[in-house]
Amino acid sequence: MSMFFLILKSYSQNKYLTKNGITEFKASVETFEPVEAVNNNTTVLFKSNTNEIAILLFLKSFHFEIALMEEHFNENYMDSDKFPKAKFSGKIINKKDKYFIKGNLNIKGISKEVITEIEFIKGNTIKIKGFFEVKPSDFNIKIPSIVRKKISEKIKINFNYELQSKT
Amino acid sequence: MKYRILLILFLYIIKLNAQSDLLDELESETLQEEKDKFYYPAFKAMKIGNLQSTKIASKRDFYLYVSHRFGSLEDGFETFFGFDNANTKIELVYGFLENFQIGISRESVRKTYAGSLKFRLLKQNEKFPFNIVYYSTININSELKKERYPLLDFKDRLSFANQILISNRLNNYISLELAPTIIRQNLVYEPFQKHDQFALGAGGRIRLSKRMSFNIDYVYNFSRHEKSIYKNPLTIGIDIETGGHIFQLLFTNAQSTNEPGFISNAEGNWEDGDIFFGFNIVRVF
Repeated sequence: MSMFFLILKSYSQNKYLTKNGITEFKASVETFEPVEAVNNNTTVLFKSNTNEIAILLFLKSFHFEIALMEEHFNENYMDSDKFPKAKFSGKIINKKDKYFIKGNLNIKGISKEVITEIEFIKGNTIKIKGFFEVKPSDFNIKIPSIVRKKISEKIKINFNYELQSKT
Repeated sequence: MKYRILLILFLYIIKLNAQSDLLDELESETLQEEKDKFYYPAFKAMKIGNLQSTKIASKRDFYLYVSHRFGSLEDGFETFFGFDNANTKIELVYGFLENFQIGISRESVRKTYAGSLKFRLLKQNEKFPFNIVYYSTININSELKKERYPLLDFKDRLSFANQILISNRLNNYISLELAPTIIRQNLVYEPFQKHDQFALGAGGRIRLSKRMSFNIDYVYNFSRHEKSIYKNPLTIGIDIETGGHIFQLLFTNAQSTNEPGFISNAEGNWEDGDIFFGFNIVRVF
């Protein structure tokens, strides 16, 4: 029986998880009021033996400075009732000293390939940090002409995850 | 032997699980979170047209409300369809707590100062189909002059409205509201009119697009005296939302935008075309 637990333990040890990952987006344009939000409840799962990674977040957990903006984000732009989640699945690639994350980002049911360089630090925990840019039009997010000047054309997404060994 | 089979079976199940997609595994980690959906509000602005909606300023959100009601369209070119006799109201609204807002305002009709508070009792969710909000306002008529009315007390300047607002966002297009109301006017403008009045407001919206909606509201005043010259207020308008602003363009038969004003003393009449054009501009900070 103890043998069995040993197997189970070694099996689960190659998985790392966080439920409090930080994902941030910035769509602000200088001279206009900031359009940015933070999601502190991003879940990330990483499998160290295959380097596979999956990321999932709820759009309603993006919090803005102005609550009305949050309401408009969910209701007018993201259709959070129909598409509550944004997902990513892919791999972490190691080339020489550099680490990259590569995979498919799925927002509003539309998938797009993303690749970007990351900071990857493996110790007791695994730290993954980086950023990339997306266009709202890639995910069928319509920006009405009246606010187009106030929302930047490219949206910067920062992420900072610290994963614990999953037991 | 029995144990061994069980063990193999057990390991096999775990192995099966391990083969499934990493993302699927994540989805199962977040099942609990998925249950709390984001619930959209029934109305975009704090007013449907004239009637208060169940919308409340979120905590620390600060709103400026500017309302105009022009004079009667009936006046034609004489006043440029009411342009010359506008009622202007400026109101500041602040979200003091998560479900609690306070407001202060001043409008030109009867030089009225007003204070209001609004708080949410219940919010629509999967288990409960209604938003329920309490709204209360006190109005001070500063137009009455002591020289003309020597017996005037400060309390005669006061009028009040208390409302329970019950709304339902039926779907993404239609929202409906009912508003049982009690009005108290310490001074009535017609001698036969009762001071305490009961009324029922009803309103709704139809969303035409993500940023536009058609709105209508009406209030029936049960305590209106049959000889009264005042009518029940009917307001028809559209909302145009542009991010930080909401423009509400409307036609109504009441010139006051305060509850005791439009519920008790709507001076216009839809049947005669004696109606007013107006708008509310809402800005969030």
